[in-house]
Amino acid sequence: MEKEYAQALFSLAQKPNASADDLVNKLRKNLQDTGREKLLPRILRELKRIEARAESFGEALEVASDAERASAQKEARQLGIAADAQVNPELISGWRARSGSRVIDRSGKRALVELYRRIVTHA
Amino acid sequence: MESIIKRIEEQISGFVPANVDERVGIVRETGDGIAEIDGLEGAVMSEMVLFDPTADRSLEDALKDETAIYGLVLNLEEDGVRAVILGDATGVFEGMQVRRLNRLLSIPVGDSLVGRVLNPLGEPVDGKGPISGTNLAPIERQAYGVIDRAPVNVPLHTGIKAVDAMIPIGRGQRELIIGDRGVGKTAIAIDTILNQKSEDAATRPICIYVAIGQKESKTARIVAELEEAGAMEYTIIVTAPASSPAAFQFLAPFAGAAIGEYFMDAGRDALVVYDDLSKQAVAYRQMSLLLRRPPGREAYPGDIFYLHSRLLERAAKLSKEKGGGSLTALPIIETQEGDVSAYIPTNVISITDGQIYLQADLFNKGLRPSIDVGISVSRVGSSAQTKAMKKVSGKIKLSLAQFRELEAFMQFSSDLDEETKKQIDSGRRMTEVLTQPQGKPLAFEMETAIIFAAINGYFDAFPPEETRAAQQKLQEYLEREGQDALKLVRDKKDIDEETEKALRAVLDQFVARVAPKKAAPPAEAA
Repeated sequence: MEKEYAQALFSLAQKPNASADDLVNKLRKNLQDTGREKLLPRILRELKRIEARAESFGEALEVASDAERASAQKEARQLGIAADAQVNPELISGWRARSGSRVIDRSGKRALVELYRRIVTHA
Repeated sequence: MESIIKRIEEQISGFVPANVDERVGIVRETGDGIAEIDGLEGAVMSEMVLFDPTADRSLEDALKDETAIYGLVLNLEEDGVRAVILGDATGVFEGMQVRRLNRLLSIPVGDSLVGRVLNPLGEPVDGKGPISGTNLAPIERQAYGVIDRAPVNVPLHTGIKAVDAMIPIGRGQRELIIGDRGVGKTAIAIDTILNQKSEDAATRPICIYVAIGQKESKTARIVAELEEAGAMEYTIIVTAPASSPAAFQFLAPFAGAAIGEYFMDAGRDALVVYDDLSKQAVAYRQMSLLLRRPPGREAYPGDIFYLHSRLLERAAKLSKEKGGGSLTALPIIETQEGDVSAYIPTNVISITDGQIYLQADLFNKGLRPSIDVGISVSRVGSSAQTKAMKKVSGKIKLSLAQFRELEAFMQFSSDLDEETKKQIDSGRRMTEVLTQPQGKPLAFEMETAIIFAAINGYFDAFPPEETRAAQQKLQEYLEREGQDALKLVRDKKDIDEETEKALRAVLDQFVARVAPKKAAPPAEAA
């Protein structure tokens, strides 16, 4: 039950012009009316979990080196991802961006891993 | 030379990796072969996903992981999906990235699978190297509709006299083999595969044996038996042993059906044996409970009937327009203490086109195959029976069922009239004639000739208890002296006047030469 309350609260909070006070007051009233007030701590815990999950699917951009930062940001913006780039040398070359569950990977690391797998699979 | 080196260096530095745009998720929780995944937006049922440990690792560490772990999406939920892990679940960890592969679970199919032993993902497990020349086919597919089908009218000879005479199977039929453990269910299926060796190569069905939840030693024994008999030339084994994850045991029959459909779609005949669907149902129950689907009767999920009906419905005989191929299914169900009214047995009985019921009592009496003719039935096979077999097998089933009843009655009364005694002797003889050792299937013409001899009283010259030995002698005699008569049966597939004459001639010779001579009547007193 707390999961459903937390999910509903989270999706309402995403709407533009959503007022936190208003949402919390309405939630409290609903819980009081239905005799479920003791659910409040569990709803809070679930809400925090949903929030953390949403953050892990937030926008992110990684580049292999500083030199590629500008071009990577430009290309990522064209694809609808406008995040600040972080340098991650593990990528070897290129960049990797994420927005929600969408991932765009143009890194040398990914290309090399794919190439290696193809060679190993067809050996 | 320097310019060449410079150019290659330029090319390497100018390498731009391909743009990979994909949907990913993150493992939230994992356990018991099930992973709960956040994200994976747009995932569809039965879609394959790849658990990718390389995303947050260095290139060096990423390359150490050579085995890919796949998953199958089975639950779509509001905030994520639940997937079964197809492989070593210990390699999946919380926070691991999961990639959508944008394709339904598929396996490689093709002619090059013949002679190989595969797992349910189509990967070879026989150590004979990789398989090439295959195409991918989804393991779940809608069965052919009414318009695409033709009536079952071509026989699939099992080489087992009792089956071919009384419970005939046609190509495209679904015939259930049901019975307790250790009563010879697998033996019937394996004998059927072995018997296809006697078919012409052009019409010989490709056989697929699917071992579900079996001991690996049993599967290894079956492979060795088929190899020894030269039957692996037209056989494919799909194995999901007892030690494999429940997901593999659930998928194995679908993989077998997908491989069979490849041959059927190519206009050829295929035979698939599911050994056994009880274990598949148990594996599916385990998965469903772990996926938190509501349990129903015997804790099986609500769609357990659909699981088996959609699998068995894929067996078909296709119309000429569709190439005329066929896929025959021999599902096997294990009963507990002969209880055919349990949930899974009744489900599969109602789905299939008949059942061969094997009884532990008959097995313990030494009758092989231990078929209970009273409740065994083939609903469509008789129209696929050859004329020759139809003529000789006529009333065997009825008379045997009557004999079994009389036999029970005999236990209470030893004072029987002549007519009853005669009927009992005849029933005993017929029972002996239909007894057949495991792994010795007979060609169709040999079966026909032996049953012809039995119904025409040629074994009456032998005491009932010697019928089995007499039958063996007859078989050897026919192989040696009766080739012309057998050829007539094989070619004409009917017993017309000429064939009957030839058969009677050779059988008369046999009786004259082999049957015990009756003692001469005592000389009349002077």
